Amino acid sequence: MNRDAETASRTNGSPQPPWHRRIVQGLLYGSGVDRDKKAKARLGLAMVAFAAVYLVIGARLVLYAVAQDAHVARRAVSGDRVATSRPDILDRNGEILASDVMTPSLFAEPRRIIDADEASELLTAVIPDLDEPDVRERLSSKRGFVWLKREISAKQQKEVHDLGLPGVGFLTENKRVYPNGNEASHVVGHVNVDNQGIAGIEKWLDGRGLADLHRAGFASDNNQRPIELALDLRVQHAMHDELLAARAKFKAIAAAGLVLDVRTGEIVSMVSVPDYDSNNPKQALDPTRINRLTTGVYEMGSTFKALTIGMGLDSGKMNLSTTFDARMPLRYGRFHISDYHAQNRVLSIPEIFTYSSNIGAARVALRVGVEEHRAFLKKMGQLDRLRTELPESAEPIVPRRWGELNTVTIAFGHGLSVAPLQAVMGVAALMNGGLLIPPTFLKRSEKEARAIAKRVVKPETSMQMRYLMRLNAEKGSASKVDVKGYYVGGKTGTAEKVINGRYSKTRLLTDFMAVLPSDNPRYLLLIMLDEPQGLPETHNFATAGWNAAPTAAKVIARIAPLLGIEPRFDLPPADRQILASAKVTR
Amino acid sequence: MIIRIVHLIVVCLFVAAAIHVYQIKFDSTVEAERLAKIRAEIKRERNAIAALRSEWARLDTPARIQDLAERYTKLKQADAIQYEDLGRLPERPPQIVPMDASDPIAVIIENAEGGGDSDITTGSVPNGGAR
Repeated sequence: MNRDAETASRTNGSPQPPWHRRIVQGLLYGSGVDRDKKAKARLGLAMVAFAAVYLVIGARLVLYAVAQDAHVARRAVSGDRVATSRPDILDRNGEILASDVMTPSLFAEPRRIIDADEASELLTAVIPDLDEPDVRERLSSKRGFVWLKREISAKQQKEVHDLGLPGVGFLTENKRVYPNGNEASHVVGHVNVDNQGIAGIEKWLDGRGLADLHRAGFASDNNQRPIELALDLRVQHAMHDELLAARAKFKAIAAAGLVLDVRTGEIVSMVSVPDYDSNNPKQALDPTRINRLTTGVYEMGSTFKALTIGMGLDSGKMNLSTTFDARMPLRYGRFHISDYHAQNRVLSIPEIFTYSSNIGAARVALRVGVEEHRAFLKKMGQLDRLRTELPESAEPIVPRRWGELNTVTIAFGHGLSVAPLQAVMGVAALMNGGLLIPPTFLKRSEKEARAIAKRVVKPETSMQMRYLMRLNAEKGSASKVDVKGYYVGGKTGTAEKVINGRYSKTRLLTDFMAVLPSDNPRYLLLIMLDEPQGLPETHNFATAGWNAAPTAAKVIARIAPLLGIEPRFDLPPADRQILASAKVTR
Repeated sequence: MIIRIVHLIVVCLFVAAAIHVYQIKFDSTVEAERLAKIRAEIKRERNAIAALRSEWARLDTPARIQDLAERYTKLKQADAIQYEDLGRLPERPPQIVPMDASDPIAVIIENAEGGGDSDITTGSVPNGGAR
């Protein structure tokens, strides 16, 4: 076939190459190869290659043209956000609890500074709180970038700008501000200078992915969705205000208060004084300023009797008219259990509750049984660490071996230390119809709450407990809390604090739990005072009925209208309003 | 000859296309700059809004309002009995001005002078009812 082609070219008249070239050609390309065809193929290949190269270049140019803006924009953003932005934290009505504000920070590039001495003198003249030797040392260093001062005012920025120093510049940073300072600090928490959450909800925010966003550099948008808390700022303020007043009046070491929505488990207010200013996080290191409601564990005293009696009524082994012998103090080895308001007679369950009889509560728990008591408290969440959104939480102190004596003391609130928030959760379950709802600091609807709620007692038990709480406000130890119009019920608790391993008679922890309104509870309120002192007007008594209960009354009078509880007057007493109406509906 | 004309047309088209593409590119650059400017402005405004909002939040704190109210007003804490449901309000009081009065304004003035409105106590807190 090649031969044919050769003969064809010969007939076309092209001259035959000389013999030596033919030999060379034969050696180089092999004999019988048409060089013209080969050259054409090579040309084609070269064209394709060049076309591909130009195509790549063209495509790349198009890409540059398209992507250029994004690139520039990103550089512009990264230039002025160092401390990354965080979402606003709002209360349940949309009031700001924490927000970001852009503030300028002063930096220097020491390599570009011409005269470090002059620059440091001028700068310290404008910003007096700069330390001159320190500034001079930083400016004369060989580093590329040093911070001189974070968060300067707009006026200072202008003055430094007017100095016209080369190598000194500003970066605007996000600074976290807390307009309410102290009032919500234990809930909201605080951040460090790099805007990382250190405590409270701020820390929780970081924990759920914000920190990762920061690291990846995506969280620099001001548009992050704000976080809405369950907290009501107005209620929080009223609580804070009254607790400060109560702490001063009763000379207590500390005071704490909590308002819980019993239907949803939302924490509407949580205050623990002494507290700290979120804008000044250094104060938070002071151990006396801890949040006593979640990070402290306490023996709650008589308020625990609510759980004991609730257990008794729910066990089916007794009803409201069952009586218990409280004539004699109980003796357990060297322990001797007596009543503070000793009646020395046989008491019915409502009487045990209203006279706050230790003996009676102990006998109720004993009749239910030691193991059942423990199981009940476990079910009510009193024996395990309660975790909320707040990173701070404390493990309850549970006796390692739970014997009869433990049941006896725990029945009236000694020998088991729990976080107060935990106790509130337990009592709330007795009030709201028998559902244990884990408390939350975030907004939650009733439907969501029902989805995670756990039934722990029967609705009838809850109804009877509401009756007892109201009865206690009508004629028992909580009579000072009966705020007219809100049908409040409550239970006092006074625990002797353990000092050097022994219960002290003078150092008390008083607490008070109030439910409002008792016939159809919406909120549960806890007031706790640490070592309140007796006053002349309280006849030198320092028990809960004289300090925690009146404080609760003041708080309720202030917050009930804010919480939208409609006042009602001339309601019948508890036995008719709560017990009788329940019978009719059943 | 035809080929040459075709070449010429194609070259002209190429030049026109290049000019057009350049124009589009130029416009888009202008638009991009405008966009960047507006973005920067939005950012600035957002920051200003955030600053003002936090300033307002600071001025609006209940603690500050309470302090001001205690210092400059005689307002007291509302008592529970001062809250009432709208549906339970009493009937509207009878009209002050009779329908057939010849000079209604004179009647109002007379009533006002006779009544003396400066000492009227509003609300219904009994003595010692509120703190």
